[in-house]
Amino acid sequence: MVSTASSYSKTEVDGKHVVGVGDMVVCDDPQVLLVTYALGSCIGVTIYDPVAKVGGLLHFMLPSADLNKEKAAANPAMFGDTGIPLLFKACYEKGARKDRLIVCAAGGAEVLSDDGHFKIGSRNRTLVRKIFWKNNILIAGDETGGSNSRTLSLRMADGTAIVRTQGTERVLWQA
Amino acid sequence: MASMNELIDGLRGLAALPQTVLRVTTMLTGGNASTAEIEHVARNDEALSLAILRRANSARFGRPGCTFTLHESIARLGTSALLKIVLEQKAAGMFADRGEAYGLQRGQLWRSAIGGAIAAERVAQRANFGNPGLAFVCALLRDVGKLAFDAHFGTRYMLLIEAHANSGRQFVEMERSAFGFDHARLGAELVMRWGLPQRIADAIAFHHDPPTSPPAQDVLFDIVHAADIISLWAGLAIGCDGMQYKLANHVRVGLKLDRPAAEHIISEVWNKLRESEVKMAPPARKGVAA
Repeated sequence: MVSTASSYSKTEVDGKHVVGVGDMVVCDDPQVLLVTYALGSCIGVTIYDPVAKVGGLLHFMLPSADLNKEKAAANPAMFGDTGIPLLFKACYEKGARKDRLIVCAAGGAEVLSDDGHFKIGSRNRTLVRKIFWKNNILIAGDETGGSNSRTLSLRMADGTAIVRTQGTERVLWQA
Repeated sequence: MASMNELIDGLRGLAALPQTVLRVTTMLTGGNASTAEIEHVARNDEALSLAILRRANSARFGRPGCTFTLHESIARLGTSALLKIVLEQKAAGMFADRGEAYGLQRGQLWRSAIGGAIAAERVAQRANFGNPGLAFVCALLRDVGKLAFDAHFGTRYMLLIEAHANSGRQFVEMERSAFGFDHARLGAELVMRWGLPQRIADAIAFHHDPPTSPPAQDVLFDIVHAADIISLWAGLAIGCDGMQYKLANHVRVGLKLDRPAAEHIISEVWNKLRESEVKMAPPARKGVAA
């Protein structure tokens, strides 16, 4: 079964489920491949419990919901500090356990010559590390930074997390 | 390699702009909108009528238990909102199925067009720019050059650009190396062929490299440039070109654009974009109450 935070994500052919920008999908169907495209400064986070075979993918845009509490309440997956806890909670509800979860992250790119004025991607990267460090969770696979676009996928059958950049695939985590 | 003129001459679907778009663009940018004319356009276009009815009867504009007819909806929404609905809808037709050359999924280029237009309008309002509608139109059309590259080269485009890849350069510089011109210049040429005003063409031509000093400098170009970068931060239309663009320093300073402002606009863009997507969604059933 696939659960989404909103209606902006959609199922395509062959069990592929596309996770939209500012959205989250949690799943316990081994036939499904979760995938999110066009990660620029946004970050994609995958979590997977290999025993319960429950996992999820979040594609958040901005680090902090403090920007606008009202919008965060309506779209918690848009922000890292509300989306990441929501992703974990939704996986726990499907039987996942924190001590078994495999966590991967990709994205957090910057435009060229940002010169430190905006650092949208960098602030997203910092937020991810801070949340996981505070909660004693290790990131098993990470490909963040740079200025390229990335595609992140999570195979629900075995938890394999793959990032694709400029036509090249890299396995972030595999059993 | 084809010259810019040869490339445009070879485009069938993009060779001419629908008359509706031309007329509506003129009305929106010139401030001479007529609700009677918009109603005439809408009555001949079922999808457009549905989009207008949806918007007028939405939670934002509607009233519980009250359904507005097309005529009432047009009167209720006002010309500025109506013209934007028309343009968004027509742009959907142009952009929806394109973007493969840039490694984009179906619909991403359309989302970027609308998202960039929303961002431009917001930046224009913040900057007290006199004609936010003009900024909306320019940003909406800023990437029509990508459509032209896409239509001409398809997936071959990526192979051609790959040889010129260099992580330190802006993507438009790579396009210039590979083709002799970039998608911004190509887009400007295309809209000139469509008969749109020179200033719109210039805003498209300069949307990655806005001029830094008078007389070429124009706050409109700065707004469209800023909107393009904001749409990247919002995760819109990030394809094989990734984030390989720069925000011009004079634009950041001139528009007083800082991180909190940018993040506010990004979240606003997505909220409005989702409203647009609901508005444009295919009808659940046939029939229009007019």
